[in-house]
Parts: sequence; C-alpha cells; structure tokens
Amino acid sequence: MPEHRLDLAPAVTIPPHLVGQVQSKLAYVDELIASADVAESGDRITLALHAAAGARAAEIEEKVQRVVREMAQGSIAPKVEILEDHLARPTSYSADPLDELLARGEVYEESTGIFTFGPLMSRLIAYFESRFLELAAHFDAQPYRFPTLMSAKFLDRVDYFRAFPHSLTFATHLREDLDIINQFAETAKYEGKGLNSPAEFFSQVEAMLSPAVCYHLYFSLADHPLPNGQLVATAVGTCFRYESNNLTSLERLWNFTMREVIFVGSKDFVLEHREQSRQFMHRIFEELGLAYQVETANDPFFVGEFRKQAAFQNAFQLKYEIRARLPFKESTLAIGSYNYHQDFFGRHLGITLPDGKPIHTGCTAFGLERVAHAFLAQHGLDPARWPAAVREALS
Amino acid sequence: MDSIDTTLFAKVRPVLAAALKVDAAEITPALQFGDLPQWDSMGHMEVMVSLETELGIPITPETITGLTSVEAICQHLAGNGHA
Repeated sequence: MPEHRLDLAPAVTIPPHLVGQVQSKLAYVDELIASADVAESGDRITLALHAAAGARAAEIEEKVQRVVREMAQGSIAPKVEILEDHLARPTSYSADPLDELLARGEVYEESTGIFTFGPLMSRLIAYFESRFLELAAHFDAQPYRFPTLMSAKFLDRVDYFRAFPHSLTFATHLREDLDIINQFAETAKYEGKGLNSPAEFFSQVEAMLSPAVCYHLYFSLADHPLPNGQLVATAVGTCFRYESNNLTSLERLWNFTMREVIFVGSKDFVLEHREQSRQFMHRIFEELGLAYQVETANDPFFVGEFRKQAAFQNAFQLKYEIRARLPFKESTLAIGSYNYHQDFFGRHLGITLPDGKPIHTGCTAFGLERVAHAFLAQHGLDPARWPAAVREALS
Repeated sequence: MDSIDTTLFAKVRPVLAAALKVDAAEITPALQFGDLPQWDSMGHMEVMVSLETELGIPITPETITGLTSVEAICQHLAGNGHA
C-alpha cells in the first residue's frame, strides 16, 4: 500500500502532447513508485510512493526530473491529423464494463495485467477477429502461424532493445545443472511478488515473449531477396508488453492478442495497401457500431529515444491509430493501427526487392481484447442493445 | 538536380558528416536520406538536431520531412538568408 505522496514541480513544464507519455514513463523510474500523476497543465507531478521510499525521496525526484528533461526539453510538437472522426456515433452504455464482467465471472484477473476471459468475451473476440479476417481475405493474404517466443538475436538486429527496453518480457529457464535443478525443486516458493530463487539459477536470455506479430514474418524473410517482390500475410499471435503500474483494467494487458495483416514490398505497394485497409475497415467498424477516430500517432518509445523517434514517426505519418471512445471515462483507447515502417526492416534484416533495394513493410493490427472491451464500453453486456450485425452474428 | 551553392554545401558538409559519424568525403551534393546506412530514421533525426544546433534550422514536422537530401538542406538555407 502506498505510504505517502511526493509533489514535484517538473524541471521543465511538460507540454500538453507529452503529459500522458511522461506519466506512463514515470512507472519505470523506481520500484517504490506506486502510481504517478502529471497534471494536465504540465506543471505538477504527484507520486504515490511505497513504504521505505522516504529515505530515497531525493534520489527518486532526481530520476523523475531526468525523465522530464529528456522527454520535454526541446520537445517537438507533433502535427496531429485526424483521418476519420466517428466519435459522435451513438452508443448506449456509459459504465465501465469491467465491473459487470467481473461480477458475472466473465473476466478473471489471474495476476496484474493477466486476464482470463469467459464465454461472452471469447465469443465477441472470435467474432471481431472473423471481421478482421475479411480484410485479410480482401487482400488474399497468406496465412502464417508464429511462435509465442521471439529470438533475442533478431530483436537485437532491429534495435528493439534501444527503442522499447521497458516493455520487454524475458523468457528463461533453469540452467542445465543437476544441482541447480534439484535445489530449485526443493526450495522454490512464491514469496512477496515473485519466486524466491536466485538469479544465477536461470539461463542467459535467448528468447523474449513476442512484443509484436509481424516481426516474426520479417525475421523469416531475413538475409534473402523477397520472392516475387511482394507479399501479403496474416497471422494472429499473443503479444506481451510489460507496462508496470500502467497495467490497469482491460485497457492495458501484459498478455494480449493481435490479429495482423502484413504488407511487404515496394513503398507504393505498402502505402497503397495500408490506405486500402483503412478504407475497408471503415465499413466494418460502421457495421460494428463503433464510435472511433483514426489519427496520426507514435509508438511508446522509451525515454532516451522518445523525442527523436516519436518526432520522426509523426512527421512521416508512419502510424495511424484507431481510437475507440470509452464513454465511462470520456476518453479514447487505441484498438488498432495502420502502420508503415518504411524500409527499416528491409535494411536491418537484409531483405531486398528484385532490384536489390531494401523492401518496405507495413501492417494493419488489431488488439482483440481491446476491441471487445471498447465495444462493451459503448454498447454494454446486454445483446439486445447491441448493433444488429453483432447481435445477429452472436445470437 | 539543380546546382548547389558551393558555399552552402561547404557549411552543410561537416555538419552532416559529424551527425552521421561518417567521413566528410561521403557527404556529396547528391546524397539523400537512405543512401548511407547511417542516414536512416535515427540518423535523420541526428541530422535534424545538428542542423538545429549548428545552423539554426528549427525541427518541425515540415523540416523533418522536407530536408531529406543535401540539396534540400542547401536550398532551405538559401531560402532563409544563409550565404
């Protein structure tokens, strides 16, 4: 339980476009921070600190100010473009659906950010995924199946550790050592917030839990020319992004599912398919009765990389987010995105077009649990009040 | 490609070479974003920061997307009173 609060004046006033980004990064500053709040005015930070933080308050404040300076000093204001605005589409529900889902036993929180879903959510997720597969079929996308583990070697090749170190989830195992395995078997217990076993019991990290789906396709194409020079693929996968004390509600899960349609080819091929995706999904979202908008966005790069990478991504409009309305909190939630990576993966992984130039890539991705959560937040748990397309499909 | 002002190119060349951590000889008048492995997305933002610090070019979405070649950088400087 948090013991006390620490109010800070940030070293640099945090501009409005960075308030949410800085707030989410403060979770990673220190394990003694239970929660952080940045005032909308950007001139006040309030931290809730765990017990024992008192003696380290000055150290924690110094680290917070470092984050503020690195992200806000000389920040480059993004140019936000709204490509579609359907936020005013009528909805019929205004409560947080999680409360009712928990009460009905439709959702069970196994651990922080780890949820089990019952029949209602499972059927909804399967239905929404079937609608996203219409997009894959429209492009005659080739089906792929990818592992849940992802090679650390390949993630290193695409600079993932520099861009998103904070959200990685590591896979390890006991070292091949009879004494260690026996000792683990005899002594391992879950204590406090985790296993009591010492770090030296565990192997070096060779693999991560996948943070994204499409990377697996690019890795499988590495170091070769792309046959035919173009490819459209689709896959569903479980993804893992650790979000510390930002793991709240159904909005941010440590473990979630993404259905992606992936485009590989020339710049024109990828950009045309990304735009066709957006236009195709416009009709689907209308049938689902979803209130949403599509706007330019950036990925949640870590502190040191944020200023430059986010500015680059925004300026070149590499990411369009689909943000659904959450009526119960008068805000929006990203449920998917239309992405263009330029030739980043082609260059880093040595994947070339027939003319020898690096391939370009892009993907359309949907977070299935978030789509279901946003739908229930807008239309509630009573199927009688759902838009006809959903009601008839699930009746 | 229009001819590049040699005085401006002489100003730009060392700035880009330092930002991209390459030899100045690799910075040619025809060089564009993507021509060198170092001039990728991160390299481009290093270029932008150096252009801001050394030559006073502000970093905006327009300059980030517009100044993607030596020629464009020189033209921008020429249009903003640099000689």
